[in-house]
Amino acid sequence: MSIACEFDYAKAVSLKDALRLLARRVSGGAVPLAGGTDLVAWLRDGTAAPGRLVDIKGIKALCGIRLKAGQLWMGANTPFADIVESPLVRKHAPILVEAAGMAASVGVRNRATIAGNICSAVPCCDSGPALLVYGARIHVATSRGTKTIPAKRWFIGPRQTALPKGGIVTGISIPIAKHAGAFAKLKRYRGEDLAQASVAVRVDPSGNWQVAYGSVAPTPIRGPQVERVLKGVKKPDAALVKKAAALAETEVAPITDIRSSAVYRRMMVGVMLSRAIPLAVRRVSGRGPAYGINVLEEEAS
Amino acid sequence: MSKNKVVGKSAVRVDGLDKVTGAARYVDDLDFGPGLLHAVVVTSPHAHARIVKIDTAAAEKMPGVVRVVTGKQCPYKFGLYMQDRFIFPQDRVRFVGEQVAAVIAESPEAALRAAKCVEVDYAPLPAVLSLDDALKKNAVVIHPDLGNYERVPWFFPRAGTNIAHWRKTRKGNVDQAFDEADYILEDTYTVPRYAHCPLETHAVTGLFDLAGRLTLWASSQSPYAQRGVMAVALKPFGLSHQDIRIITPYVGGGFGGKAGVSMEIIGAVLAIAMKGRPVKLHWTREQEFMNTSQRQGVVARIKMGVKKNGKIVALDHTLHWDAGASAEYGANVVNAVGLSATGPYSIPNVKIDSVCVYTNMPPCGAYRGFGYSEFHFGLESHITRIAQALGIDPVKMRTLNAIREGDTLAYGAKMNPGDLCKAIDRVAKEIGWGKKEKAAKAHKAIGKSLACFWKAPAMPPNASSAAYLKFNEDGSMNLAVSGMEIGQGFLTVMAQVASEVLSVPVNKIRVETPDTDRNAYEWQTVGSHVTWSCGNAVRSAAEEVKTKLIATVARAKKMKVADLYLAAECVKSRKDAAFALPFRDFVIDGIMRPDGRYVGGPIHGTGMFMPEFTSALGDPETSQGGHPNVHYTVGAAGLVLEVDKETGKLTVLKVALAVDVGQVINPDLVKGQVVGGILQGLATAMYEDIRFAADGRLLNPNFTDYKIPTTLDCPLEIVPIMLETPQPDGPFGARGVGEHTMIAAAPNIADAIADAVDVRLKTMPLTAEKVALAMRGIEYEDVKGDNLGFCFRGRPCDYCFDVGGAS
Amino acid sequence: MKDISICLNGEVRQIAVAPNETLLDVLRNRLGIKTPKEGCGRGDCGACTILLDGKAVRSCLILAIEVHGQSITTLEGVGANGLTALQKAFVKNNVFQCGFCASGVILAASALLAENPQPTESEVREALAGNLCRCTGYEPIVETVLAVAKQAARQPAASRRTRS
Repeated sequence: MSIACEFDYAKAVSLKDALRLLARRVSGGAVPLAGGTDLVAWLRDGTAAPGRLVDIKGIKALCGIRLKAGQLWMGANTPFADIVESPLVRKHAPILVEAAGMAASVGVRNRATIAGNICSAVPCCDSGPALLVYGARIHVATSRGTKTIPAKRWFIGPRQTALPKGGIVTGISIPIAKHAGAFAKLKRYRGEDLAQASVAVRVDPSGNWQVAYGSVAPTPIRGPQVERVLKGVKKPDAALVKKAAALAETEVAPITDIRSSAVYRRMMVGVMLSRAIPLAVRRVSGRGPAYGINVLEEEAS
Repeated sequence: MSKNKVVGKSAVRVDGLDKVTGAARYVDDLDFGPGLLHAVVVTSPHAHARIVKIDTAAAEKMPGVVRVVTGKQCPYKFGLYMQDRFIFPQDRVRFVGEQVAAVIAESPEAALRAAKCVEVDYAPLPAVLSLDDALKKNAVVIHPDLGNYERVPWFFPRAGTNIAHWRKTRKGNVDQAFDEADYILEDTYTVPRYAHCPLETHAVTGLFDLAGRLTLWASSQSPYAQRGVMAVALKPFGLSHQDIRIITPYVGGGFGGKAGVSMEIIGAVLAIAMKGRPVKLHWTREQEFMNTSQRQGVVARIKMGVKKNGKIVALDHTLHWDAGASAEYGANVVNAVGLSATGPYSIPNVKIDSVCVYTNMPPCGAYRGFGYSEFHFGLESHITRIAQALGIDPVKMRTLNAIREGDTLAYGAKMNPGDLCKAIDRVAKEIGWGKKEKAAKAHKAIGKSLACFWKAPAMPPNASSAAYLKFNEDGSMNLAVSGMEIGQGFLTVMAQVASEVLSVPVNKIRVETPDTDRNAYEWQTVGSHVTWSCGNAVRSAAEEVKTKLIATVARAKKMKVADLYLAAECVKSRKDAAFALPFRDFVIDGIMRPDGRYVGGPIHGTGMFMPEFTSALGDPETSQGGHPNVHYTVGAAGLVLEVDKETGKLTVLKVALAVDVGQVINPDLVKGQVVGGILQGLATAMYEDIRFAADGRLLNPNFTDYKIPTTLDCPLEIVPIMLETPQPDGPFGARGVGEHTMIAAAPNIADAIADAVDVRLKTMPLTAEKVALAMRGIEYEDVKGDNLGFCFRGRPCDYCFDVGGAS
Repeated sequence: MKDISICLNGEVRQIAVAPNETLLDVLRNRLGIKTPKEGCGRGDCGACTILLDGKAVRSCLILAIEVHGQSITTLEGVGANGLTALQKAFVKNNVFQCGFCASGVILAASALLAENPQPTESEVREALAGNLCRCTGYEPIVETVLAVAKQAARQPAASRRTRS
């Protein structure tokens, strides 16, 4: 079925142009359009009815993946497919590659952008946990200037972000540092699915751990208790992994919905963590499988 | 070895090129020019409510709107077996999503916008959203007028209750047999609703032309049944069969969901309202889930008595079906199961009660397997459990009880040919039955299972097929039948049957999709019966053509009919090896005699088939005395399953399925039914999971949350095994196979889970979540929240039905 | 309405579109391109797959106005100069059943083979995972894509380009 609501469309040629178009008053409001895989679906089912779409895909400054001032920088127009295929991301943010490879399917990943993913900000957002463990920063432009927002302050609630009104995400940056990790996603089957729960784990060579979860709280969240118990341990033994997994189950706050019961989500966060930690340890020492696997299906505890 | 030249070989599909080039056209692909109107329906947000008032004034004034149609203009009911479904509801709505009005506009967008402006006042009524509510004393009655509904003579509705039909089958003496049994197991199994999910949603374009002729282009499995149902329902508009024409181009999958009539009749009525202009109605995916038909849910209580050696002596099988708001088709599913719920076993004492119950849930109907998948889940699980309790090998127990040709069926008729024991043996061997396998990883376990299946077409006793076959000047042919190509390869199989008789290559026989004005009659494409039924009609048409070919040559050449035969598109003579008259030389223009006169004329043939030995008129209290089913196809399937003990995730390592198809006509196509059917069956067993809110709203009418399998969800290995014990009355010995391949999947998974991790699940689907929770001693029912998931609340085993019990 | 210009199956086409028209609707209803199908309208099923500048995308989730200046290939364009090896093999192996998913599957598989001529089985499965098929059980699809890739590898590059 078609799109019933009416809106106008403008293609921005520059960031300045885009901000100007977004600032201009229009009934229903103006929203940026990048990949459109969420937005157009919402236009079709009537959950969004903006007055204007500002297409930002033509803004060169928002495109590309590159190293910039010791950071890995990904433009807001970067589709998931580019993240999966980029040697730069694979080298500097491989956990994000693993997460991006589990998002939707090829036909959607060719279009859907990572910036769009975090702007939609659904609790099951696949990139959220990975960006959290990386301490990523979200670069935002408004008519008053630019600023950066840490990933941990970006997600405010379901479909709510810290993006200022009229603002645009211009890119996402990730600090470069030696590390390894893993992203595990619980799905109802192996095919494309929204996460029932997900876990991202990052560890550096000195044993500093970052842990984050998706789909088990109103937003993607960090796992501070698990991080604390693992801190400084380069190779957690089975008992410590077990302890961390048990802690993980207590530091998430899942709900029951049609995709999963809260109790299963909680349990599986523990299982995923107990598979992701040893995997991260193997990877940090240069062993372990290449990134981009379905951790929960392919990795033993 | 078989002497067949075409039958039994993998001919290339006659529709293959159409489908890979995109030449194949589906209903929504057809162009109707700028005059085409678009319709959008207004749907009920209530499961049960009185319609107080429908105000269409605002919608009618919207730009682009041409007309708004409500039940006022169309106070008629329809139905395939019982007229209990409303084209537009009259006094009340009966499920969430029911159409209360339709807006017709110049564009889909205008219709969509206006549909939001149709104001409907409802007075909510208590909704019946569970079998418990539907069957309790003083239940809200969903169809108060049930006693007056037109229906087929083999349905037994109970007026004043929510029971739309109750099929009883009684054989032997069950009570005495239970007394004499060494072991009795009684338990309850539940199967929720499922959705068909053809990739193409329902669509219809109707044109009521200026001369009063109604033509519908419909995405349908049943063009003739649709015409028949509409001729009855639309009679008040002055229409009869001759005024209605149904054209069905390619259909993007059916699985039973496009059998009978659902939204097509709305399209018909809207077209009638807009005389002279075509009107299109195209269901969204959401509507496809909510307002076509679903597979019925069922709660099945099984009590089985056996001897120590494993011989089954008694079966008491009670099934309560959640039919939804109308049972015009679903009640026949209930009926079919009521006759066959013994499964493929010879059981001397049988009591089956199959009860069709109205609820305020979406209507249900035919779904690949027609009730058999549902009852096999409980029955096969039950047999495995009994075997284990007795310390008998579950496979041996199945062989011991397997039905054989000539055995007496539950309703008294005799079993047809079919080698179930061979199917069991072949499958057992293929999956290494008896050998326990160790998983490669510590947190995984491997389980094996083997289940049997059977199924008969469920059809009226006079369901029939016909075929027209004609030659063209170049010796090519047109075959006009009205079985529907829904993907199974029907058109190709019919061409192969004609080709075998006539020696005309398959690629020179054009078989097109139906048009009720031009193609021969076919009852419906359902029940895995068209290869058998229409195949017989095509064979008889081809035999008629053959007779004419030979007679023409015999007459023109003064040869003996007995000496002539067909080979390589020629009439040849056994007496004269040099004689070969190509068909193309005479099939239209005839054969010139020495004096210049011609003999012959355009050669064509017709054929028909009706199973004249069947009857639906058994005794209502016992089902004895009739012969309701034409034949059963039997088989067995086994699988090797890996279970992740922590996550509950299931990986099917191998499936082997043996099915006795009588005679394979096209191995590729049978394999297609096996592989596709297995995956569909496994999906319903493992993750397809329909969810309703407590108010009867469907919560996952989309592929985001109703998961159908992808390339990543296939078994690692599938072994199709085709057995060929000929069906005496089938074309070349063939019988049906389309539905059977998904039937064993659910008990296969349940038993393999039990074998692997000793957890017995009795409520489908058998999701990873349920397995993981059960392994930790948690019952999913306790944690699933308010989403019904099926038409009951609480635990199904807690049910005691006031009305549905023994009688 | 705004004029857009696209290269559709090798031909430049100009058309005026409204901002709320999806690419799928414009192709199907205004440009006579019927092979992309609407199966779900929300990007879940892949039946509307087209190639946009060579990449497989969902035309139901793209507005027509967005693709000005871009190149679009649909199934109509894939076989325009004779069937491709993939199409021929799909026919020969009796792969498709109802055929509603065929256009999307063929385009997704073509895009895969163009980028990765020798995919592994898991790469084929991953590339086609977004194209739902309710009939086939996928095995014949995956087997045929792999067989076509293998066959192409055995042939010299020059003859691979010739179509018959």
